[in-house]
Amino acid sequence: MIPLEERRCDGTDLAVEIERIGGRLMMLFIALGAEQAHELCALVKEGNRVIWLCGSLEGRSYPALTPSVPAAHWFEREIHDLWGVVPQGHPRLEPLVVHRSGDGDLPLPADEELGGGHRGAQRLSGPGVFVIPYGPVRSGVFESVQFLVQTGGEDAAYIAQRLFFKRRGAERRICEVPLELAVLVAERVSGTSSVAHALAFSHALESLASPEVPPRARAIRRVLAELERLYNHLEVTVRECEDASLAVAQAQFAALKERLHRLAGTVVGNRYLRGAIAPGGTRVDLDVSAADLISSTLADWEHDWRRALGVLLRTDSFLDRLVSAGPLSEGDARDFGCVGPVARGSGLDLDTRRDMSYDGYDEVPVARHHDGDAMARMEVRFQEVETSLELVRAALASLRAGPIRSELGPFTREVALGAAESARGEALYWVQADGPRSLRCCKLRAASFMNFGVFNRVFDAQVLTDFAFIEHSFGLSPAGCDA
Amino acid sequence: MIGWFLRGISSPRVTTRYPRGDEPPPPGFRSRALLDPAAVAAEDAERLAAVCLPGALTVDYHGALVLDANRCIGCGLCVEAAMPRAVAMDSRYELAARKKERLRVDGVTREADLAPDPRLLGLPFRRSLHIRHVDAGSDGAVEQEIAALLNPYYDMQRLGLFFTASPRHADVLLVTGPVTRPMEAPLRRTYEAMPEPRVVVAAGTDACSGGIWTAPEVLGGVDRVLPVNIYIPGDPPAPIALLHGLLLAVGRVREASAPRLTGEATA
Repeated sequence: MIPLEERRCDGTDLAVEIERIGGRLMMLFIALGAEQAHELCALVKEGNRVIWLCGSLEGRSYPALTPSVPAAHWFEREIHDLWGVVPQGHPRLEPLVVHRSGDGDLPLPADEELGGGHRGAQRLSGPGVFVIPYGPVRSGVFESVQFLVQTGGEDAAYIAQRLFFKRRGAERRICEVPLELAVLVAERVSGTSSVAHALAFSHALESLASPEVPPRARAIRRVLAELERLYNHLEVTVRECEDASLAVAQAQFAALKERLHRLAGTVVGNRYLRGAIAPGGTRVDLDVSAADLISSTLADWEHDWRRALGVLLRTDSFLDRLVSAGPLSEGDARDFGCVGPVARGSGLDLDTRRDMSYDGYDEVPVARHHDGDAMARMEVRFQEVETSLELVRAALASLRAGPIRSELGPFTREVALGAAESARGEALYWVQADGPRSLRCCKLRAASFMNFGVFNRVFDAQVLTDFAFIEHSFGLSPAGCDA
Repeated sequence: MIGWFLRGISSPRVTTRYPRGDEPPPPGFRSRALLDPAAVAAEDAERLAAVCLPGALTVDYHGALVLDANRCIGCGLCVEAAMPRAVAMDSRYELAARKKERLRVDGVTREADLAPDPRLLGLPFRRSLHIRHVDAGSDGAVEQEIAALLNPYYDMQRLGLFFTASPRHADVLLVTGPVTRPMEAPLRRTYEAMPEPRVVVAAGTDACSGGIWTAPEVLGGVDRVLPVNIYIPGDPPAPIALLHGLLLAVGRVREASAPRLTGEATA
């Protein structure tokens, strides 16, 4: 359970408060307070505490946070789109979440000024400058997202990303479906991070109702969460090998990934581990034969992974493309609130498994790198594969006989935050109870929402042909970002 | 690079023989629900429909339980709630059909209506297919299952199936997701850019019916926008399920049977 430290203030002072606390902005959103009054809420992580700043709003506007807190950039545009509340002084209040025109076309962004010396969007002009609209239907099997590349030919001079083509209304669905089915919606927000999203949402409900999650369920949760991390990190590796035209490497890593999905299909009944997690515990038990299958499969798998990785790290044509591609500075990563391997590749020391310890995780070693380039992000993932294998072994060894689920019970708290570390970083669910058995409001934030926001800031002095390497090194999930 | 050469030739052959050989799913795999309408008591029908998030199980106006496999996400909650022998999970990979109606089970329809179409012909293609994929709001897992068709286990190119970047070269439009509003126009434009004859395949439960998603954000399935020739339910559909659906377009496999629970199905 994550204790929330509630502080009330005036909405106009929120920026000052956040700056004073000096922590990481996790979320910014509008909640309905007493008598349906709009309240501007910010969740700030400072040290080991999560501070819930609740600002009352007078009227339909407030002074924008973005000039002093760049991480609020997309959140404020989202608030403007969904609630019509105007963050005054925001550098770029164009629609973000809601597509106004139905044809999928996007005007080029106007110039914008962000605070803190950050370069905002730019509209380039000059001889030979043209725009490549890339997406939402892209070449290959990709999720829908659009990039507008302004270029003079070789350099990727400025890239504007356009998301929310895939917005399915997950937050609305979570609140309107029966409570015991809502976790199925959370599993499908980012379909490749089903376990992490189901866990984050379950943690939120468990904070509202405080049932005791049985130790056996917590160990099973760790096994499944790490299995999910493994195949997601493998997916990024496969994509990078494909970009480098390493056909054999791509086939080898894709086969390694397939073996993990087959294992998942055998032990859980779904290749993406869906239907395994439930609030209060798990729905799936790992009996002795399943546990043996996981450990023996992973032992063989680890051997083959090590050999393939060894060759990959000696392949110059792979390293040449990733080293120094798409560097993200530690300052940018911090100011824009990056999470997951993207943040850790730029030197930030954060991992939800350690910082907001849940389901029996403790002492998780955090892999970090300081170069901030595509290779650094990959190195972080390679180290995390080792850690995950270790964590699966430890969790399987700690399986003791016992129940796997306890009754959720009626809600006793009013608001709660649930978090889990997906392969892409921190996934968050903020929920507000409406009586003992239903939800009034749910605000979710996938890791990719934060990491997509900074994606276009790593293309300084980068050539266009490195685009794919940089994109895949971020390991983004448009489905999770759009929700 | 010699390292990759050696890794390549020292790796064993793992490619499936599907569709010529069988590719059995793991025993506990949950691909879709199966229903025996006659075995469901009237008082149970409402209770079972209430645990089905996407509305695959519904109660018709005679009070009988109806199952639409186009909507099933394979969560298995109905099996946990039901009396044994009324509902069970199917583990088969082959779920695709050319008509949505063939993937429904109710107490009224005659058995003959539910039989799979025995004809192999019916669509304009015979051998190789070029496929253009469009994501119309999926959860992202279907894309990875589609990409997995190129891995050494499935290697779809051995069957003459290829992905193509341009809709101008495509025979098949493979659509995932429940069709969100911003994706409606790009989806239509991709379809219109394809030469005839063309085949539209809806891949995944949300593409077949909208799945768990509802208006106003989503339109509720590809067939609200385009004429769909093949439905591949599944959440997400496994690679073999996708291969089955694509091979249905060239008449090399037969349609899936209706999700009717019979004696031989495993509970």
